[in-house]
Amino acid sequence: MKKLYITLAVVAVVGIGAVSYSIGSGSGGAVSAPIAVEGLDDMNRLVELAQGMTKGDPNATVTIIEFGDFQCPACQQFATAVKPQVELALIESGKAKFVYYDWPIIEAHPNAFLAARAARCAGDQQKYWEYHDNLFRNQARWATSTDAVGMFTDYAATLGLDEGAFESCLGSDRHADVVTANMELGLQLGVRGTPTIIVEQGGVPRNILNWDFESLRTYVEELLAPNTGA
Amino acid sequence: MTEVDEVVPGAPLNRMLVSVLSLIGFFVALYLWAHNAGLTGPIICGVGDCATVQSSEYARIGGVPVSAIGVAGYVALFVLSMMGLQPGRRSSRAIAALLLSGSTFGVAFSAYLTYLEAAVIQAWCQYCVASAIIITLIFFATLPEIPRLRSPEGAA
Repeated sequence: MKKLYITLAVVAVVGIGAVSYSIGSGSGGAVSAPIAVEGLDDMNRLVELAQGMTKGDPNATVTIIEFGDFQCPACQQFATAVKPQVELALIESGKAKFVYYDWPIIEAHPNAFLAARAARCAGDQQKYWEYHDNLFRNQARWATSTDAVGMFTDYAATLGLDEGAFESCLGSDRHADVVTANMELGLQLGVRGTPTIIVEQGGVPRNILNWDFESLRTYVEELLAPNTGA
Repeated sequence: MTEVDEVVPGAPLNRMLVSVLSLIGFFVALYLWAHNAGLTGPIICGVGDCATVQSSEYARIGGVPVSAIGVAGYVALFVLSMMGLQPGRRSSRAIAALLLSGSTFGVAFSAYLTYLEAAVIQAWCQYCVASAIIITLIFFATLPEIPRLRSPEGAA
């Protein structure tokens, strides 16, 4: 029996240590996965719950929609190489507006859901797009981190956000419902990977498979041609 | 040592094994429960899709996390096995019956969850698989309780 007690004590010490470590090094109460949201099976309710982040003239007739994942390398390429050109040529000129919907691929990207929430927590302090760009620029640093909460909080401080308010937001389930709804909306719209780029005008969406800048610019300008007389 | 223990030397060995395995299973289930409660970061997962399994609708039964059911089950098995190791209870038919029925229920429940992972969710969580292996080992470790159910009751 003495050997049994020693074995049990060893198992208990290792078990308590492992679970305590995972809790201590984890993200506290920070929700990092989709949550149960009522009404997602009702399309009208889903459209209400899902909220994209918009950049540009809200009255622009053409909308460039991205379903993106902050931890996805292809989305990083779009965000760092294509989107800046799109902003200069199409968004700032008022030709189109850009709307970003979260579509974290949680199976492959364990920090992606948390990143989507972090960006929205920054959005609470009117710094969504700065934070969005920062996340993509630093993707390689935080993507595999076991302390994503700490890194995201550091980014908030770097951008001059109220660190306490950001930490409080990230350490809760705030925005988890919206991110979850965005994921469901994407599924309903046939999104199967990221980035999915959709250009919409007059309620007619078109999935753009070649999302390089020239293809996007050409398509948007073709859509605007009758209105602009070009 | 009771008379029965002398007649069947080393009989409680299987209960020792159950106590150790159920304690290991307890910590595996506790980790999953902590994750489910949002107390840990992104689940540590070398292989498989724990996040998919943990966020699926099957991760809860009637609002209760499956991992919490696992924690309760392993605690029950641990307590029973420890009770069954006490000199006065080694031939208790009640403990033998509870250990056997508990492990049988556990392995059946685990088989159902494994089926859900394979056929419905189509994703694997290594911690769930680890728990399934542990409860299966516990089930086999409780099979020696069958003869005890038929043996004369000792001091209980």
